[in-house]
Amino acid sequence: MQVDPSGEAPVVVCNLTKTFLDQSRGTIRAVDGISFQCRESEIFGLLGANGAGKTTTLRMMSTIITPTSGTAKMLGHDIVKDPSGVRRSMGFYSASTALYPRLTARETIEFFARINQYPEEKVQARVNSLVERFGITEYAGVRVEKLSTGMKQKVSIARTIAHNPRIVVFDEPTIGLDVLNALEVQKAIHDLRSDGRTVIFSTHIMSEAEKLCDRIAIIHRGRILACDTLAGLREATGLHYLEDIFLLYVRGPA
Amino acid sequence: MNWAALKLLFKHEMRMVLRSRRTVVTSLVLPAVLMPGLILGTRYVQRQQAIQLDQTTFLYAITGPWADEARRLIERYKDAPEFRNFHLREEHPAHPEQALEDRTLHFYVRTMTVEEANQAADDDDDTPTLGSQPVERVTGVRGLQVVFRGNQQIARTGVERMVDLMRAARRNESYTIMFSAGFPSHPEGILAMTASNVATDSQISGSNLGRFFTVVLVVWLVAAGSIVAMDIIAGEKERGTLETLITSGAGRIEIATAKFLAIWTVGLVITIAQVLYALIYIRLNVIQLPDNFEIDLSAQSIAQLFVLFVPLAAAIAAALLIVSAYAKTYKEAQLHFFPFFVGTLVPSLAAVLPGLKSRSIIAFIPLVNVSVAAREVLTGRADPLMIGVTALVMSLTAAALIRYSAKLLTREDIIVWTQHEQAILEGGEKLFQRRVLQWFAVMWAVTFAVVTNVPQLQGARVQILFNEIGIFLVGSLLMIWRYRLNLRDVIGIHRVRWPVWAAVLMAVPAAQVVAVAFFRLVNTVIPTPTELLRELGKQVAPTGMPLWQMIFFMAILPAACEELAFRGVLLHGVRNRFHPVVRCLFVGVIFGVFHYTLFRIAPTALLGVILTAIAVMTGSILPGLLFHAANNSFAILMDAAGISLNRFDWGTYLAAFGVFFLSMHTIWRYGKDH
Repeated sequence: MQVDPSGEAPVVVCNLTKTFLDQSRGTIRAVDGISFQCRESEIFGLLGANGAGKTTTLRMMSTIITPTSGTAKMLGHDIVKDPSGVRRSMGFYSASTALYPRLTARETIEFFARINQYPEEKVQARVNSLVERFGITEYAGVRVEKLSTGMKQKVSIARTIAHNPRIVVFDEPTIGLDVLNALEVQKAIHDLRSDGRTVIFSTHIMSEAEKLCDRIAIIHRGRILACDTLAGLREATGLHYLEDIFLLYVRGPA
Repeated sequence: MNWAALKLLFKHEMRMVLRSRRTVVTSLVLPAVLMPGLILGTRYVQRQQAIQLDQTTFLYAITGPWADEARRLIERYKDAPEFRNFHLREEHPAHPEQALEDRTLHFYVRTMTVEEANQAADDDDDTPTLGSQPVERVTGVRGLQVVFRGNQQIARTGVERMVDLMRAARRNESYTIMFSAGFPSHPEGILAMTASNVATDSQISGSNLGRFFTVVLVVWLVAAGSIVAMDIIAGEKERGTLETLITSGAGRIEIATAKFLAIWTVGLVITIAQVLYALIYIRLNVIQLPDNFEIDLSAQSIAQLFVLFVPLAAAIAAALLIVSAYAKTYKEAQLHFFPFFVGTLVPSLAAVLPGLKSRSIIAFIPLVNVSVAAREVLTGRADPLMIGVTALVMSLTAAALIRYSAKLLTREDIIVWTQHEQAILEGGEKLFQRRVLQWFAVMWAVTFAVVTNVPQLQGARVQILFNEIGIFLVGSLLMIWRYRLNLRDVIGIHRVRWPVWAAVLMAVPAAQVVAVAFFRLVNTVIPTPTELLRELGKQVAPTGMPLWQMIFFMAILPAACEELAFRGVLLHGVRNRFHPVVRCLFVGVIFGVFHYTLFRIAPTALLGVILTAIAVMTGSILPGLLFHAANNSFAILMDAAGISLNRFDWGTYLAAFGVFFLSMHTIWRYGKDH
């Protein structure tokens, strides 16, 4: 995929590569030269099976790990040269990012707003608005350890956007959730796009990608095999269902 | 450094610590309650024991050729004032040994003829002492032996009193004989001896306190800091909050520094709290100090101790952060904690050793320097220059450790636990590679605990059977079963070329001679006490075992079980972890550590390194198994034949080294094809 590294797009990923040295299997290319761009007010989906390289890509983009080669820019901040700038520009949410059990919901949002350098004088107002927006007013003063899974999801999304980032990354956010909680998360992602944010969203659930994503990149063995809107993918393959399209790219024609 | 972020993170960490019930209870509440509880409880138990002992009537018997005379002696002295609370009743069992077994007797007194006494002296390896000085055992006199079962607390105390009684009897009877033979005065009246101590009470107390001051503070610092450290990194990794934090706008340096500051602060605060508790308990007389105990600490001395211990606390906090960072879970951090605890305890005991001064190379050895300098401060012999040097060395150590711990949080293998997750999910080989050392740690602990605490396993045969079959064989098979390991891979079953077997057999005698040469060489630099060598000999070749049994129990069985455990399972588990040379050293040292008496560790570790090298070079445990069995058999046969390898000259040793080198080269040359 051709990308313009100096382009205006909020997210520009250019030849991103990550290799791991596995003690028993040798060098593994978890991500192999991935490139894509995301636009404003867009939900960009990374669709792939387990081990396809989705999480590694998103972890590089959120500066948890460093790429072996290639780079990415988030609102112009380079993930290698300016990781702090990247982190302040984005919110990262995944199944493995947990909340501090001994903080209250309000304290959690407050802490993440401050640590991401949200203007101090606006912190309280921001916290209040998020508490109201996510409907957590009733239990804002309750410790996270005492909240139900659904409540925790809401607090977690609220803390992800506590500093009002323009880019939000969701790494398999509905994994392990029941249908109702998964729907809540999907609604929150949809709302974030409506706010004008860029949402990068990884999943292996076809229906979720079909329902939420404006554009979908099919990723397999560390490479992007296709990247287009759902309509574009249908047109390119002549298939209707995303599952069939996915299998066609991953396994080849039957 | 972003100071605002650091301040925010530090406040956040402290808030987490203070809200952790486990931390607050285990660090502040428990010590406050436990210490007086333990002291008062111990005192109560001791009082009850004393009462019980005073009320006990000890049942005993007297046997042997001069039983009547011994009986008269006991009767004559048992009413002496010092034995007022020693109540005795003589029994007359037909078989005193059986009566001991049946617990109808606490002990019996066996009187012996001169011949029996001489024989007993020959059989007993313990050198008799007078005070701390060894004395020559008197021969040609009758003997008296008190026989008891050491695993009965009450009987032990009774025996101590009976021995004291008989000693008093012997002394008085000797004096009576001397008087009757015309000795002019009381023997103890010949010379008046006194000792005059010119040190002040404060200096003596300071010297006593100084020896253990650092170790006590280090125990508190490590115990308090570790509770926070385990939670602050390993616990956060386990809960997933570390990943949340590192995706925030805070830098890794700020995160690591805030965590370090939290551990440091908690360590210092809790240690100060412990000192205050101790002072309060002394004031309340819960802790009773000796009458002449007096510590005279000036403000300057307190400041000097402060200068010494604050950087020490920082170094410990940073080291704890590192230990916790390497663990993936809270439980794993707890496993890492014990070796760390022992590792800090040993150098902090330096002050116990006499003659160490801070104005020496000691000043540059972290922790040891604080231990020695603190003792000097407490004994009123502080050396301000060396206190400065010590504080500087400790500060630099702390700074280096903080820097390293901050770097750790930028390492992907430390902060991301995908591989760990995958290993847990998949189980099998991957999980085994992560767990193998924990298994061996548990095996070591079980071996050590059982052998030292279960008297039924004290015999050589039972002990060997327990270790080899119960621990090494069963432990290895359990790991192979639990992690679905391929037995062929573990053992390395494949064809080994004949020159390897020949080289192994050639290497065995050569290795023995080389080992003797090596230890002779070491002995010229660090002389080994002969007592130690004698003890080693006794352990390696127990007396009274037939030769065929020695070959089976000490050569064939250990070779089979230990090769499966160490060169099979352990080596298989760490095969991807280190460079081959480091792997050989690592497995060899662990093999040595399992031979838990200190003086056996070095020689067995050396043998372990050779055996591991053979396994690495051939890819199989079988040549090593042959080497191990042949090596042990060779040593047993040499000992049985009375042949000592110490007698050779250095030319022979050099030739043996040549043969050994050639053998190892052959093993490498023909074994590497695997």
